[in-house]
Amino acid sequence: MSDTAAPVTGTGRATAPSKRPPGLWATGWKKFSRNPFAMTGLVVLAFFIVISLLAPWIAPHDPARGDMMLPNLPAGSEGYWLGTDELGRDILSRLLYSGRISLLVGFSVAIGTVIIGTFIGAVSGYFGGWIDTIFMRFVDVMNAIPLLFLNILVLAIFKAEFYYMILILALTGWMGVARLVRGTFLQLREMQYVEAARAIGVSNWGIIIRHLLRNATAPIIVNATLMVGGAILSESALSYLGLGVQMPDTSWGLMLSNAQEFMLVDPLQAVYPGMCILIVVLSVNFIGDGLRDALDPRKKTVKPRRRLGK
Amino acid sequence: MTEYLIRRTLQSVLVLLLITIVTFLLIHAAPGGPKTIFLSPNLSPEVMEQQAENMGLNDPLPVQYFRWLGDLTQGDFGYTFKNNLPVGDLVWPTLGNTMILMGSAWFLALVIAIPWGIYNSTREYGFSDQLASFIAYIGFAMPTFWFGIILQELFALKWDLLPLSDMYSMGKEGDLGDLVLHLILPVTVLTLGFLAGYVKYSRSSMLEVLDQDYIRTARAKGLGERKVVFRHALRNALIPIITILGLDLPILVAGAALTESVFNWPGMGRLFLQMATQREYSVLMAITLIIAVFVIIGNLIADLLYAIVDPRVKLGRKGGAGA
Repeated sequence: MSDTAAPVTGTGRATAPSKRPPGLWATGWKKFSRNPFAMTGLVVLAFFIVISLLAPWIAPHDPARGDMMLPNLPAGSEGYWLGTDELGRDILSRLLYSGRISLLVGFSVAIGTVIIGTFIGAVSGYFGGWIDTIFMRFVDVMNAIPLLFLNILVLAIFKAEFYYMILILALTGWMGVARLVRGTFLQLREMQYVEAARAIGVSNWGIIIRHLLRNATAPIIVNATLMVGGAILSESALSYLGLGVQMPDTSWGLMLSNAQEFMLVDPLQAVYPGMCILIVVLSVNFIGDGLRDALDPRKKTVKPRRRLGK
Repeated sequence: MTEYLIRRTLQSVLVLLLITIVTFLLIHAAPGGPKTIFLSPNLSPEVMEQQAENMGLNDPLPVQYFRWLGDLTQGDFGYTFKNNLPVGDLVWPTLGNTMILMGSAWFLALVIAIPWGIYNSTREYGFSDQLASFIAYIGFAMPTFWFGIILQELFALKWDLLPLSDMYSMGKEGDLGDLVLHLILPVTVLTLGFLAGYVKYSRSSMLEVLDQDYIRTARAKGLGERKVVFRHALRNALIPIITILGLDLPILVAGAALTESVFNWPGMGRLFLQMATQREYSVLMAITLIIAVFVIIGNLIADLLYAIVDPRVKLGRKGGAGA
């Protein structure tokens, strides 16, 4: 957008203007697309996103309504590919709908933590001084209470509800991003272009948003990607413990806690949701690692991962 | 050194005080306030008001906070609603059980991970190295409680080799052999969780050292590879590993809430969950604080160890070495 303002001076150029060097994203994509693990992750994640979005249309049954005449059907039954649970609910449909919830939690929590963490890290790192001290002590305090315990505590005091869970996971997960952004800002704020920007009268927030944040995007995005996996795991843990997603909604974690109760009847019930979590989180982590390798200009080669691919 | 130690300790005390404030405010921010939390909901409004007055719940917040803090410093965590038991009596025994479980897993993970990581650093991208990184990926992406459930299905239900859950079989309380049998499955789950990180960590720490000039010198003067690795590289590679161990100390206390509830292990994490569903807030506050104390002590130990083991660490650095 800023390019539009660039004046085109002189007519009748003798030589063609030199091409702009490929930007961060172009080179990044080039490296990323050559990484088989990251690309597999991307394809698998895209698949899960698509079938979750399409769940209302492709799910063969209502995930919440069971047929009491057909409890605990084995996998491969007619009309119920993966069988039914103890209430006669179709497991495949439940898996599809669970995917919606898990992915929704994963992405919203990641976005939430990035927004909170970036804001706190940016203010801390740019302004420094007493603001920095206060924020960093606060980070210490948050880090001193293990996340799972903090989440359980808050959900127990308030209410175990889906939206609360997203909010709480975001409010308790931002510390890593904040530290990261602060660290980057501490380095970047000493750069000459920041000094130059200040000299021509750019406001503090202008510098933070236009100049510093832009240079910190790559690590933030890598971190956000890895947060998605973490959030999905947290959601499944909280739902498993009965503090997350509540009936009649369903999630992979909730299905697991159900499956554990009926382990003797149908051991396979515990396998499907767990596999879904494993595969999705694995894909997200592969994408995150791929992004890290692709976007980090300080790293000279992506040798490790490529050799791993052989 | 002394100055650093004092400053770092004061900092820890400050963080601890802040945590007590946060915990205290959290309870008071709950819908309905502390009255609904500390008093039984079955009481009539008059009795409730009377009890609130007796317990000092109508006093100004700062007064309540300092009274609570004063009780805490004397080891008084308050009483539960149900049965009016002292919270301490409930919490302390579970701490030991958690430490038995986590301690075994942690020790096992270390014994396997550090040599494995070192071996992998000498054979980068070999089979063993790739196996470790495969395990790490799976370990980071798998819900630990799910792994626990699968192990239960296979080893306890299908093959009937190991006990399904709990710490002892009925009537065998205190029997060491029985305890070990009950430990195997949960420890396997937890060890896998630790292993993923530790192997990666000791490998990369070792690789960093092997890249140094003095290692090249050692090789150049004709030392054998074994001597280079064990005499020269290992000692320096262990420094960052020690720090990580300090930072992970609190996991010994707090890491097992999920595994404990899968395997019905009578530890602190399971107690926390039970008390969360029963809304026993004084127990929750007590456990949160105990864990926070461990975290802070662990961080402090990590920082101090780092400073002691590595004389190059500049002690004046803000935020401490481990931050």
